Amino acid sequence: MKLKKILNDQRVVLTLLTIGLFIFFGLRNSAFFNVDFVIYPLLRDGATLTVIGLAQLCVLSIGHLNLAVGRMAAVSALVAGASYQYWGLTLVQGAILGVLAGALLGAITGWIIVKSQVNAFIVTLAMDFALLGLVTFIYVTFTGATAAFTTKPAGMDYWRSKSLKDFCVAGICGPKSIPMMLLPAIICLILVSFMFSRTRLGRELLSTGSNLRAAKLSGIPVENRVMTAHIFSGTLAGIGGLMLAYANGSFTAAIGSQVMLPSFLGPVLGGTLLAGGAVAVLGTFIGTMMTLVIRQGLSVQGIGLETLNIALGLVLLLALSVGQIQKMFTSIKLRGKK
Amino acid sequence: MKKSLLAAVAAVALLLSGCSSSGDSAGSADGFGAIKVALVPGGAHPYFQPWKDGGAAAVSEFGIGGTAFNETGEWDQTKHNAAIDAMAAQGYNAFGVFGVSPTDINTTFKGLKDKGFAVGSLASCPGGYDIVKEPQKNSADFCLSTDTGKAAYLAATAVIKEMGGKGNLVHLTGNAVDANTIRRMDGVKQAIAETGGKVKLLTTITDIDSDLQSATKAVTDLLAAKGKQINGIVTTAYNPAVAATDGVSSTKLPIKVIAIDDDQKILDAIKSGVISGTVVQNPWGQGYVGSWVLAALGSKKCTMNTPGLYVDSGSFLVTKDNVDTYNDTRQATSKDILKAFQTEYMTCK
Repeated sequence: MKLKKILNDQRVVLTLLTIGLFIFFGLRNSAFFNVDFVIYPLLRDGATLTVIGLAQLCVLSIGHLNLAVGRMAAVSALVAGASYQYWGLTLVQGAILGVLAGALLGAITGWIIVKSQVNAFIVTLAMDFALLGLVTFIYVTFTGATAAFTTKPAGMDYWRSKSLKDFCVAGICGPKSIPMMLLPAIICLILVSFMFSRTRLGRELLSTGSNLRAAKLSGIPVENRVMTAHIFSGTLAGIGGLMLAYANGSFTAAIGSQVMLPSFLGPVLGGTLLAGGAVAVLGTFIGTMMTLVIRQGLSVQGIGLETLNIALGLVLLLALSVGQIQKMFTSIKLRGKK
Repeated sequence: MKKSLLAAVAAVALLLSGCSSSGDSAGSADGFGAIKVALVPGGAHPYFQPWKDGGAAAVSEFGIGGTAFNETGEWDQTKHNAAIDAMAAQGYNAFGVFGVSPTDINTTFKGLKDKGFAVGSLASCPGGYDIVKEPQKNSADFCLSTDTGKAAYLAATAVIKEMGGKGNLVHLTGNAVDANTIRRMDGVKQAIAETGGKVKLLTTITDIDSDLQSATKAVTDLLAAKGKQINGIVTTAYNPAVAATDGVSSTKLPIKVIAIDDDQKILDAIKSGVISGTVVQNPWGQGYVGSWVLAALGSKKCTMNTPGLYVDSGSFLVTKDNVDTYNDTRQATSKDILKAFQTEYMTCK
């Protein structure tokens, strides 16, 4: 009975599926167990996409979408990159400025949604277009032929290339497979998880997403909560944008241009409802890792581009259906007992 | 429930901490046979397809261990890095790479070099500095690429000549925030400036190289709105070139076109006189020469005299006169570039 209960938890099923896929790909080709070229980069990319997934999760919690999540990441990277290049700020100072820019964009987006009463889908789509133009204009105008901010503050390469192996306490060092980049993602996971599970603010966000009218009648300042969710989303998108820039090596207009769909994939695979009211914070990490394991697993098998995307789509469809299949079996069994 | 979840997470952690590197074989090979060259463009694009044949020719001619072509980068630097990592995990020990982001790719090159691999930047050089003046800033061993500014200048000069040295010119190109595009735009502007005001740049349309559909729409809109004002079109990206060829062919407007690359549609249009010509690049030579240089570096047979050196892979104007023979010229040029590497740019044992 206990085992059945455990297996009904989507996060457990996803974790087992991810581990199963990891072992499957490794058995098919032992190169998949390579730390330097598979596990380390997988976790580093997974860390970045998890933070961006959390940015999406924050607005999903109130039943909204943030289609500008990638572009908010791009603006944060732009602000940080400009601060390093023109004002000589340190890594941390520039990062704080970049994250604040993301938070500001989130606040503006939330404010427009609240004041205009226009659907978040439309507002964030419009925001995405506007920011795309702004980011391109700034890079072309201020950086000329380079089209990027290339100044690297001290410590930037550390986050890209170092692992817990370089982090030693009393002569004991961590594993080489865990990138330093995973640490900010873990901190974000803990903070977001704490907020949704342990604070009144988190519960109010979920209530707003679950039933706006009921939340309003219960005295929850829903308009305020909409703003809050979008500020959190912009802030996390900003952190994700900085992680992307640090991982790749420079600050370009392309940062965040490919993260919009993955930002939904992680949370939704993990169990977050698109309609709002329920979030899966740890599930976001597991869902993100599963998609990356499938992609890199197929890539290491030497599968070509078309086959890779077909296989990726099929496996994801299967994974997304796991919950539905479980429910189907449960209802069949219950009917049988009746 | 929570305990079981923690147990599952702990199992992953245990698996991760228990994993070990299978190690790389770079540097251990004593001949070309031990070198496996990975040719990794930034994503799928017709331009890179000749890399496969160029690499295959180098394998059969020089006894290289093998070449493989991986186009799963999908024009995203993160996915591109993952594609390169996948090749390294599979045992490839020399890399010919087209960087998605010119300013990011140096970081990728440095990572590969730190692991002892031979690395060549093919079809594009790292951005953020002048590679001709500061090759030492290139983290790859060399860069073998079209001089995009020179190719654009060649194309613009040719179309201005076809226009009779006067009139309105349109420039169709790719991603506006790509350093290569900006060099192309500068090349076209330089050719126009040399006319002393007789030729005017009517407009430059960017960001239409992602797919043929976008390029076709842009060209159709352009010809509908300003077709009668345009005397010449110069294209410095693949999809706009095909779209401009189709557009001018279907509207029958008296517009002179110099395209880029050698899609069959473009070559047929040159033969039938619909367009004046095209500027072809040398992706075959990049695959062929690049594979040999990477094998020579990987096997420690040769070293670069100037690490990070930039070498122009060549660009050629193709018109009705040489449309049937340009490929021979291009292959001969590739052999010349290879010879220059063997005798001038590298020191070999």
